[in-house]
Amino acid sequence: MKPFSAFTSAYGRLLLGSAAAFALLACDPDNDPEPVTLTTNSVFVVNEGNFLRSNADISQFSKSSGTVTSKALFNSANGRSLGDVAQSMAIRDSLGYIVVNNSNKLEVVSLAKFRSKATISGLKLPRYFVAASSDKGYVTETVTYDGSNGQVSVINLKTNTLIKTIAVGVQPERLAVSGSRLYVTNSGGNTVTVINTATDAVEGTIPVGDSPNSVQVDQAGNVWVLSGGNVAYNADYSVDYSRTTKGSLSMIVPGQLTAATRELDSNRSAPDRLTINGSRNQLYYTYQGGVYTLAITDAALPATPLIRRRFYGLGVDPQDGTIYGGIGSFTAADKVIRYRSTGAPLDSFTVGIGPNGFVFY
Amino acid sequence: MRFSCFRRPGRRGILVGTGLLAGLAGPALAQQQMPADTLAGQHLPAVRVAGVRAERFSVGSRRLTLDSLALSNYRSGTLTDLLSARTALYLKNYGPGQLASIALRGTSARHTAVLWNGVNINLPSLGEADFSLLPVSGTTAVTVQPGPAAATYGNGAVGGTVLLSSGAAAATWGRGWQGTAQTDYGSFGLRAGLLTVGFSNQNVAVRTSAGYRQADNDFPYYRREAGGRVQHRQENAALRQASFTQDVTLRLGQRSEVAAAIWLTDADRQIQPGLGTNNTHARERDQSRRLLASYRRVSLRHEWTARAAWFEDVINYRDDLNGLSESTVRTTQAQAEHTWQLAPNASARLGAEAQHFAAQVDGYGAAPRTENRYSGFLLLRYDPRPRLQLSLNLRQAVLPGRRPPLTPTLGAEWLALQRGPQALSLKASASRSYRAPTLNERYWRPGGNPDLLPEESIGYEGGLVHTFTSQPNHVLLQTELTAYRQLVDNWVQWTPGASYWSPRNLRQVRAQGLEASSTLTWQAGAYHLTARGAYAYTQSRKTRGTAADTDPVGRQLPFVPLHSAAFSTDHAWRGWQLGTTLTFTGHRYTDASATDFLPQYLLLNASVGHTLAVGPGWRLLVLAQGYNLTNKEYQSYQNRALPLRHGSLSLRVLWH
Repeated sequence: MKPFSAFTSAYGRLLLGSAAAFALLACDPDNDPEPVTLTTNSVFVVNEGNFLRSNADISQFSKSSGTVTSKALFNSANGRSLGDVAQSMAIRDSLGYIVVNNSNKLEVVSLAKFRSKATISGLKLPRYFVAASSDKGYVTETVTYDGSNGQVSVINLKTNTLIKTIAVGVQPERLAVSGSRLYVTNSGGNTVTVINTATDAVEGTIPVGDSPNSVQVDQAGNVWVLSGGNVAYNADYSVDYSRTTKGSLSMIVPGQLTAATRELDSNRSAPDRLTINGSRNQLYYTYQGGVYTLAITDAALPATPLIRRRFYGLGVDPQDGTIYGGIGSFTAADKVIRYRSTGAPLDSFTVGIGPNGFVFY
Repeated sequence: MRFSCFRRPGRRGILVGTGLLAGLAGPALAQQQMPADTLAGQHLPAVRVAGVRAERFSVGSRRLTLDSLALSNYRSGTLTDLLSARTALYLKNYGPGQLASIALRGTSARHTAVLWNGVNINLPSLGEADFSLLPVSGTTAVTVQPGPAAATYGNGAVGGTVLLSSGAAAATWGRGWQGTAQTDYGSFGLRAGLLTVGFSNQNVAVRTSAGYRQADNDFPYYRREAGGRVQHRQENAALRQASFTQDVTLRLGQRSEVAAAIWLTDADRQIQPGLGTNNTHARERDQSRRLLASYRRVSLRHEWTARAAWFEDVINYRDDLNGLSESTVRTTQAQAEHTWQLAPNASARLGAEAQHFAAQVDGYGAAPRTENRYSGFLLLRYDPRPRLQLSLNLRQAVLPGRRPPLTPTLGAEWLALQRGPQALSLKASASRSYRAPTLNERYWRPGGNPDLLPEESIGYEGGLVHTFTSQPNHVLLQTELTAYRQLVDNWVQWTPGASYWSPRNLRQVRAQGLEASSTLTWQAGAYHLTARGAYAYTQSRKTRGTAADTDPVGRQLPFVPLHSAAFSTDHAWRGWQLGTTLTFTGHRYTDASATDFLPQYLLLNASVGHTLAVGPGWRLLVLAQGYNLTNKEYQSYQNRALPLRHGSLSLRVLWH
């Protein structure tokens, strides 16, 4: 093959050399699985991930070493993707319950090794989970965004199966158990649905502020509900502040079907992510690009923020009150910033995409 | 996940083998030697009207022309199929027949101008083209010119330009009647049909084509679940596509011609859900109606051209959660230009274009949005010596409320060495380019930002072209090496705000890299070989950003493979044809911090066919094509399944 002879020369060697160099260069970066060893004193960071890209996962932060011990814990432990949009995670006994919103499922993992114990599928845009006992859990489900009611599914935690569904208000969000009652925030309306956890019967709906989004139970068993306020839009989707309502904080005494509600001062921002400390006497929430806090006994709502920074996820360590704020850029591996309970910055660490919540174990 | 380099020894073999073969095949991109700088019409009496193509003014730039052999096997497919199999370009593909967007030289899809017969056909709302909506049958030539060239091709030619043409080329005239009919039958319910009929004498050239394509795309794929690796069948990925093209060119006497072109495409696609995501039964209807009329007059020293185009692009999307969202954008464009042959070695073209967009898009609100854009340009070509070619192009655009800077492009090519069968050319070009904000970026509600600045870029490239021609051995070997660097400023990025996402001029991005390619053609008796190899190293990084830009600097941008390569061969012998394509796509990061990535993949396709003469003027081609022959599980875009090994059989009747 005469014509090829010209290229066995320097030119050919050059190409051969570059082919070899290319073979060396063109390999995927290292991404070996990390061995999973779970210790208590861990913080599980829920990385929501990008919508439709199934890149949600849980990062594990060790409080004792101050480092991220696993960036993608679920994938490392199970060799598969957690799913699309991890909305939240909750713990009951030695199990973790991860609500994977756009995969319509609940993943149950053992906290010892983070191995998957069960996948409860067939949910309809699930949002948040709470366990009422070791036998029974509840999940809020949006079902649809067309303004119709959402639902709460009841789950048998022994068999990890769906038992029944309970109709609640529009777009049910976070939920909490106080005594024998489950309180569900209906963020598409202005009510909290109260469900008897023994019978699963709806005991009633309590009017609170517009768009209740989060709920906590204090040391006395009182239920605190944070409402974002109803955001009204103009035809061009800019916010119409003349019709937008203010956010509010409500308190419900268990057994009563009424709430004592206090309005926040501005309708320019929707308060969200009501969080409570370990002693269950100090509340935290995000509002106006910062974090605000008040004691449950405070007569007035706080006028100034504890931290001036916008967070996508907020958590408070029940042991020492350290505040965790997750930054949600959704483009890069995101950061979590830690603050002392005084609001003074402590340090930061890098997790996955969109850290929206923290679970302390 | 464990993605080490070459888990199986076989893969190393294949890869090094590719390099070797590419080395043997040597060079060649189909960049033909430029003809001498004259209006062809003056010297070739048979061709009475011939114009100067815009490409003639882009001296010093790399150009990849997909030859007719490459086009032929993909006649009933889309540009996605063609470009991803035949070039080292990376098209981010959301599934077979689903959205496929191009990213040239480390930029984004909005940084590639797609021109059809000289007019921009990017969807004005998105500012980019979905290459899966562009059937190969709608074009007769496909050229990709990577690199910035807004002076020559207008808005958005930052990462590069894709040039499609359907009009009558010089070789079209006087060929009488011709026709082909083709039917395809393939895996996962693929059925396609294509009919083309053409006629030309010395005064009129007509080409009509009508195509149809449907697929169920219910291909099997595997996913790791709690119980292990589970096989699934893809849901909600079926599609139906139809296209029609009509081109007419009419010569009016010796010196002028009028041409008209119609290109209609219609796609009804289910939108393939991501792996493990909620199937919301999303469905999209994409319809484009493109009409173009042009007039050209050529005299000894002058050429006048006028074009008018009207497009209507419809995108209607529906899913269970969001209901229906409709979008119709009508674009009216006009271009006029005048070319002077100043001297046998110098020509100049002065022109202007105007675009009017009228958008009725649900996302922009009830009222229609309109926008006008204008630009004027001057293109100069001068060959001071027979071996030295220079071009200088200038364009000034006027956008609503904004005026991007004057964008010049300067290019040079020098035939440095010509000795026996060897020729070596050096080439270089530098360019400033711009991209106007898209209609979505300006008007989408909520989030649209009417105050966005146009993106600007400054880029330069240099390289060499080596040609080895051996007439007695029927060998042509062409090799091209190009190095480039480009800085894009005011880069627009959608970022989350307090309550919604909004596009902002966030950052500066630096893209730089190397491109090497070779084409060999060889003929021995009845045997013909064409082999092409191409490799691209693409480094694209954010270099700085505004305070609102939280992404880290200095990391490879997401979905830009650092390495990509393509190797293809076409063999022909006495009516038989055999073709292979092998493409390598390196890992692509999926986030701006360059931590998570999609693994690299190597794809092998092959085709075998036989053409039979079945009567005077009648031939029959039977072609079998196999795709992903190594049964590779891979993802082009994150979390979208693609088919394992599959194939198609096509039967083509050719007349004349």
